[in-house]
Amino acid sequence: MQHTTTSPGLSAKKFFYRDDVAGIIFSLPFIIGFFMFIIVPMVMSLGYSLSEYNILSPARFIGLKNYIKIFTDDPLFYKSIAVTFYYALVSVPLRLAFALLVAMMLKQTTKATGLYRAIYYLPSIIGGSVAVSILWKRMFASDGVLNRLLAVIGIQTDFAWLGSTHTAIWVLIILSVWQFGSSMLIFLASLKQIPVTLYEASWVDGAGKWKQFTRITLPLLTPTIFFNLVMQMIHGFLAFTQCYIITQGKPLNSTLFYMVYTYRQSFEYFNAGYAAALAWLMLIIIGLITSLLFITKRFWVFEGEE
Amino acid sequence: MKKRTLLVCLILVACTALWAGGNAEATAAADAKANLTVSWWGNQQRNEITQNVIDSFMEANPNVVIDGQFNEWADYWNKLATSAAGNALPDVIQMDYKYINQYETNGLLLDLAPYIKDGTLDLSNIPESVSSVATEGDKVYGMMIATTAPALLYNKNLLDSIGITIKDHMSIDEFIAIAREVYKKTGIKTNIDYGDSENYLDYYMRSKGHILYTDGGLGVPSAQEFVPFFKIYEEGIKEGWMVSPSIFVERVLRSVEQDPLVYGSSNDARSWCAFFWANQIPATQKAANAEKFEVGVTNWPSDNHELSNYLKPSQFMVISSKSKNPREAVQFLNYWLNSETAGSYLLCERGVPVSSKVGEHIAPMLDEINQKVVKYINTVVAPKSSPVNPPSPIAANEASRLLGSLREQVCYGKITAEQAAQQFFTEANKILAK
Repeated sequence: MQHTTTSPGLSAKKFFYRDDVAGIIFSLPFIIGFFMFIIVPMVMSLGYSLSEYNILSPARFIGLKNYIKIFTDDPLFYKSIAVTFYYALVSVPLRLAFALLVAMMLKQTTKATGLYRAIYYLPSIIGGSVAVSILWKRMFASDGVLNRLLAVIGIQTDFAWLGSTHTAIWVLIILSVWQFGSSMLIFLASLKQIPVTLYEASWVDGAGKWKQFTRITLPLLTPTIFFNLVMQMIHGFLAFTQCYIITQGKPLNSTLFYMVYTYRQSFEYFNAGYAAALAWLMLIIIGLITSLLFITKRFWVFEGEE
Repeated sequence: MKKRTLLVCLILVACTALWAGGNAEATAAADAKANLTVSWWGNQQRNEITQNVIDSFMEANPNVVIDGQFNEWADYWNKLATSAAGNALPDVIQMDYKYINQYETNGLLLDLAPYIKDGTLDLSNIPESVSSVATEGDKVYGMMIATTAPALLYNKNLLDSIGITIKDHMSIDEFIAIAREVYKKTGIKTNIDYGDSENYLDYYMRSKGHILYTDGGLGVPSAQEFVPFFKIYEEGIKEGWMVSPSIFVERVLRSVEQDPLVYGSSNDARSWCAFFWANQIPATQKAANAEKFEVGVTNWPSDNHELSNYLKPSQFMVISSKSKNPREAVQFLNYWLNSETAGSYLLCERGVPVSSKVGEHIAPMLDEINQKVVKYINTVVAPKSSPVNPPSPIAANEASRLLGSLREQVCYGKITAEQAAQQFFTEANKILAK
């Protein structure tokens, strides 16, 4: 640290040798990127949300009118909020449960475990992509793989899974549950940290597998579950690709995700100011839900002995 | 030691940046060539055709370098809007009737009038009715490059097999009678312009003498006028001859290859006709070849064809007002419109060419399918048609999305035709008023 002491005649060499200068220079790419691509667009977006802006011509300040219109005169806002909440609140717990289940199964180490882990992780690498969305669309088509498989077990149908308001959203939810890989890896890591002695002790005391799971595994996993829940909830509310590629919000707007609606306002109807306001509302909603989760944290998350 | 390495690295990075910057400037100075970007939407076939035109233009004008950019229809407009906002519009832009107004009112398009006056853009072989479409006072802000018209394409082999012959200028009742008969005899259904498109409603309202979308509101005086239109869908679903809306969620709307006319797993999911455009005949026939049927063509059903039918610019070419090389861009446009070489590449893929001279030149080159396009436009539409409506106002997109959603609700049986008509009338007026 002796380098950091400043002297009146600070030479260039001395300047570059300072520890903090090196740190700043190395993180400069991130800092510049963060400002240019996060902070500046956010500030601009806040400005646009208070204006009438159609992308092509300059924005005009209109105060809170966009926000007022969203709440008083936009049935699709409420519809898309309802759809997005349904999607996030159903798919995230399902995905976590599934991830935990698979993580439990992959906990044992055998020769092929590495292979299995890679295979089960694959969907989350490719799951959000356009190609998988198109594949999914084909699988659930009336002449798709699913109906063919049903025919094999004797159920002849050409039901259009995407064409019914009852099933279309579930096609998207299943796609989301299938992308359990990243949560699974995190679960796996924390499962391995649970001391084996706890299981041995409980076994000696006569606890069965189920009791071990509910009394030892689950409580010790709660911090991980909490982390996964928060992260996945945020992702769930921001889901876009699946809806945009697979259903476009159809049928009858029963799969209209909030982000797709925002995108539509901005790039199809050229109401970019309105879309910016929608985006800010989503930020507030996600903020509220995350803080809600943090408030409930102390009731169910185990953070070690006090 | 570590710190010295850092210092060396930093110096190296700085030098590279300097060198790269200097280098880029050097190249820019060395070639005094005019760079143009040309953008269009379309399919693979169109991309190849357009690239050929660009290459032949560059061969004839070695001082111009053209970079072609293409996208699918939907992505094209997103990209164009964002590049307009970023002040980075391509120099030459393929433009659609639905969007041209928006770009013009925002001052993004170059006035072509001076170039017409000085002869850079030669309109001597182009009819006044074509060159005057995209004008505002003395300003000419775009040039229509090809003509198309609404066209009902149908499965000719299917209809022949059950003894139905289609005559041109069908009334709506005649059309529905055929739809019922086809459904009764074959189980194949009918699709009437399903999706977020106002094309058929617009055509329908023209027969009553109304313009659907006008600046500030609907050009239709009352909600009552929309009821018969939504009734067609309500009855079609009830009687069974209308294709169920559920099949459309799994398809890309407006894609020729996935239209129920040429694709469907069962008769329920198929249609004997498609509400398309004349220039889509070649692409549709290509898709129909897999199903081994001939594509027939007639006009969309209407109770007054004289009023309903129209010739429409299938595309415009416009030039960005921010273009750095406007003269070269106009030269390219002129080449596109008047060169016989360009015409021989383009044929009728974008529609019938607007220059009479190019039209004559390519006539013998056309294959049977392309000839069908020309013949349909010249003998069926042109003699019995009225001028096309003025370009749609900016909010038309959103209104059409509303129309699509209401039509969907009628087809799913969620609302009645009367409710849909009332809702469309109130809400579309509100959307168009902004």
